[in-house]
Amino acid sequence: MPPMIDEILKLKEEATVAAGRLNSADEAETFRLKYLSRKGLVAQLFERLKDVPKEEKPQLGKSLNELRKSLETEFESAKSRIEGQSKVREEVPDLSLPGRKRYVGKMHPLTQTAAEIKRIFTGIGFGIADGPEIEDDYHNFEALNFPPDHPARDMQDTFFVSDDSGKFVLRTHTSGVQIRVMENNKPPIRVIMPGRCYRNEAISARAYCMFHQVEGLYVDKNVSLAELKGTISYFAKELFGSEVKTRFRPSFFPFTEPSAEVDIGCIFCGGKGCRLCKYAGWLEIMGCGMVDPNVFKFVRYDPAEVSGFAFGMGIERIAMLKYSIDDIRLFFENDIRFLNQF
Amino acid sequence: MKISRKWLEQLVDLNGIPDQEIASRLTMLGIEVESYENFSEKYKGFVVGHVLESSRHPNADRLHLCRVDIGGDVKDIVCGAPNVGAGQKVPVGLVGALVPHNQHDPDGNGFELTRAKIRGIESNGMICSAFELGLGDDKSGIMVFDNDAPTGEPLAKYLGLDDTVFEISLTPNRSDCLSHLGVAREIASAFSRKLSAKRPRFHETGDPIAAKVEVAAQDLCPRYSARVVKGIKVGHSPRWLKDALEKAGMRSINNVVDATNYVMLELGQPLHAFDLNLLSKQTIVVRRPNPNETTFTTLDGKERRIAPDMLMICDKEKIVAIAGVMGGMNSEISDGTVDVLIESANFLSTSIRRTAKRLGLSTEASYRFERGVDPDITLTALDRVAGIIEETAGGQVTKGTIDITASKFAAKRIDLHVDQVNRLLGTRLASGEIKRILDSIEIRSEKKSETVLVCSVPTFRVDIEREVDLIEEVARVYGYEKIEEARQTKLVFDTRFDKSDLVDEIRLFLAGAGFNEIVTNSLQPVHVASEESGRYVPVANPISEDMAAMRTSLLPGALSAVSLNLSHGIKDMKLFEAGRVYALSEKKELVGNYSERSPISLVITGFADPVSYDRQLHQYDLFDLKTEIERVLKRLQLDNWDFISYDSSRIYNQSLKLTLNGMDVGVAGRVGDKLLEKFSISQHLFFAELDLLQITSVNTQTKKFRSLPKFPFASIDLSFIVDSNVPVGNMTSSVKGVAGKMFRDISIFDLYTGKGIPEGQKSVAFNVVLGSDDRTLNDEDVAEFINEAETQLGREYSATLRRQKNR
Ligand SMILES: [Zn+2]
Repeated sequence: MPPMIDEILKLKEEATVAAGRLNSADEAETFRLKYLSRKGLVAQLFERLKDVPKEEKPQLGKSLNELRKSLETEFESAKSRIEGQSKVREEVPDLSLPGRKRYVGKMHPLTQTAAEIKRIFTGIGFGIADGPEIEDDYHNFEALNFPPDHPARDMQDTFFVSDDSGKFVLRTHTSGVQIRVMENNKPPIRVIMPGRCYRNEAISARAYCMFHQVEGLYVDKNVSLAELKGTISYFAKELFGSEVKTRFRPSFFPFTEPSAEVDIGCIFCGGKGCRLCKYAGWLEIMGCGMVDPNVFKFVRYDPAEVSGFAFGMGIERIAMLKYSIDDIRLFFENDIRFLNQF
Repeated sequence: MKISRKWLEQLVDLNGIPDQEIASRLTMLGIEVESYENFSEKYKGFVVGHVLESSRHPNADRLHLCRVDIGGDVKDIVCGAPNVGAGQKVPVGLVGALVPHNQHDPDGNGFELTRAKIRGIESNGMICSAFELGLGDDKSGIMVFDNDAPTGEPLAKYLGLDDTVFEISLTPNRSDCLSHLGVAREIASAFSRKLSAKRPRFHETGDPIAAKVEVAAQDLCPRYSARVVKGIKVGHSPRWLKDALEKAGMRSINNVVDATNYVMLELGQPLHAFDLNLLSKQTIVVRRPNPNETTFTTLDGKERRIAPDMLMICDKEKIVAIAGVMGGMNSEISDGTVDVLIESANFLSTSIRRTAKRLGLSTEASYRFERGVDPDITLTALDRVAGIIEETAGGQVTKGTIDITASKFAAKRIDLHVDQVNRLLGTRLASGEIKRILDSIEIRSEKKSETVLVCSVPTFRVDIEREVDLIEEVARVYGYEKIEEARQTKLVFDTRFDKSDLVDEIRLFLAGAGFNEIVTNSLQPVHVASEESGRYVPVANPISEDMAAMRTSLLPGALSAVSLNLSHGIKDMKLFEAGRVYALSEKKELVGNYSERSPISLVITGFADPVSYDRQLHQYDLFDLKTEIERVLKRLQLDNWDFISYDSSRIYNQSLKLTLNGMDVGVAGRVGDKLLEKFSISQHLFFAELDLLQITSVNTQTKKFRSLPKFPFASIDLSFIVDSNVPVGNMTSSVKGVAGKMFRDISIFDLYTGKGIPEGQKSVAFNVVLGSDDRTLNDEDVAEFINEAETQLGREYSATLRRQKNR
């Protein structure tokens, strides 16, 4: 039998290591029962103290007391460590829970599209102007070179305001703002004019009684059709991507001469032809042209002195192309399931 | 307008030019081809069949078993049509053919024919109805052709449809292309082909023309030409004539009327045929109606009200036609007509347009006259129609024509400056090139000087009047695609026009605050628009009663949007709209007496936040709406607003008026149940409309920096016990007043009634922040403030200070 002092040292070493490995309350209890309980290993050693020779008793007794104290300390610190651990574990939340929801608002797709158009044109020096939606015949038609009793007026189904004079209309285009801007400002002029317009058409997936337009006007010395083409094709590339092709083909508007319709290469089929472009490979996006000299005469600009271009596009049309929307009525129903998609 | 390739081929050489090429070149010349259809392609696999036998299907009463000769081969075909019978000549689709329309498909979509077993018997094709072939609406039975239809002939050929029809959409200026001749001219220019110069062939016989024409209203009728054909026999038109008209979308009537329509479609000149013997004294008088002539019965049997300034075609006694619009019953060509007078006239376009508009009657003739017809083609058209009538209705063309003109119709002469062309187009075209371009569209030009061309515009181009019109022609024919794009290089230094939009900023702000933007119709029913104000703007010609007035408020549109979303089960909503409202103003406005405002509306309804795992759900209330409004106002750097309760029980249950510097700038409230009911909304809804323009006009000063506070603020909590009915808003103002210059901020951090507070009273707890620009506030300052606040609120509201704390 080894001397008792060796046993004490061995037990101390063994128990200290064991205490360091304690990981749960259960394990700690087992430890306590094994070493520190009334029948535990430490108690058993004390029991044997009565059998040792008298002269060794004080020394061994001291060692045993130190052992008990040391193990108790180890045990206590292990216990608080374990408790601490479990406490920390309780405080860690379930990180897989989602964040608390909040409403996310959106600007209407038409406003987003208008903002995009405004961004592109203000970026190349266009200002923004505004005008009335209830307009007089003069600004909506006459000064734009739509003579009374001219078939060009049939191009636009007009709503009239109930009024004895019969000369007030819900504007059929934003072009009247061109006249107002030129009446009130000397050239050079470079503005875009966004706004709401009305057409007296049967409501369908393709047409609504109101729509929004962005009108553009640039008047200065020597403004040419070549510049109009450059400006519009830049716009189309900015809006639809730098690869998009533009095509200008002759058309007719009373307030521009020459006039053009602008098509972009079909963004759905890449120009090969599909249902959406009616198998033509092209999609119409706007009308434009060189300001007709008659219009200049109405606003007292000298057509020999200045020239200009004007263009106008439907925001709905652009948004429908950009987002592949197939029914114009969706814009005005305000179904949140629709609005949240943009 | 429908243009037939075969017809064009009689006018211009199209040899070797594919349809696709014609369509795209015309489109690029401004003659937009919307679509085109090649009928030989469409009817590939369809032939004329001869039904040899027809017997009942053994397994189905309604079906027939037919043996059909398709030319050299006999097919067994099961047919369900009730009218099928042996001996008939019928259209047969063979296996592989594409049937244009399916009678049993609700959308009428087509399908490919396959070999099929029908009730146990194999069918190798299909006998078709007019509907299935896209040749009419008749679904009741199969088409049956004349007995002489050649068995086995391709269907398109038999129907005269071995042709391509181009659907052309013309802008109002290009009236010259409302005819095959006009389109042929464009093609001749595009492909450098020559127009064929065939002259109409006919024989003049017998006595010189005896009929007379008197033009009394020459201001409205620059030219009136006429011919007479005698001894004709009115009857059916020959196949070629019927087919040509049908392809162009017109119905065949009789050989005389068809001939006039044919010439109109070919040359663009509207013609009218009168029964000469129904014209009193065989005389035409072109005049305005007499005062006693107020009605006239047109060809379509309708009695029309006529006005004194409309132009009439009359005989010596009565009106026989409304000039340029429609003829009358009283001189119509009938089966008994023997002698005809053909009118080939030119009328003033504005007069015809006014008349057609007022009568609500648009015809092929009026459509062309409104847009302008070549005044120099009347005689050519008469010769052409005379030739066709002679061929199809027999008779003798009387010698000579009547031709009454106001003036000579010579080519217009316009100077074209080469530098103007290049200035406007941004090109560098030489005068020789411009001349060549104009030549190709029959505009001849001579050099007046090195830089000026004198151009002669042919009479058929009624749209070209000015130099700029010629420049457009140069651009169009030269090709827009060939004009180089120029990038704008000039910078602008222009401060007159805004570049940014405050409304857009507020939109972004509100979207960031969780609001969805809506865009609603500005047209409403009158009863809705008048709900808010009697001074609404009515629409004279609304699409429907639902859209007969301009909106006076953004509320109804918002309620419709909420209602729609509720119907989809979405109950919690934050919406806003920035749009205009319209009103009749008492004073003169920019346009008439119509005023337009641009408010912003806010709508909240349902739960203030979406459902979440540990969140107390809170139903929106009026204070949430105030929160949102106040946030917008703060965003706009405003601070001295006020909410004042006011009664507007027609629309709101509880409502507030927003004022700014004493100006009314908005309303907010809980929308009344009665109004909500109309929109099927059964939950509380809070709505505000803010006049953004007025609000922003208050804050026009630019933002200025104020130096940051140098001395710490004092924060004091004060709670008062006061009668329950004392408005906290008033107490707040009083506390602010007491703080005076030291005031920095105030919040209400507790409101309490119940245990510990006497019945009928409440506890209101304020946190007040005080400060000074030049020193740190000391205990005395704070104590003095508390004292004064206690005295002031005690005096004004009998409030007692319950607790105070210096934070
Ligand atoms: Zn496509």
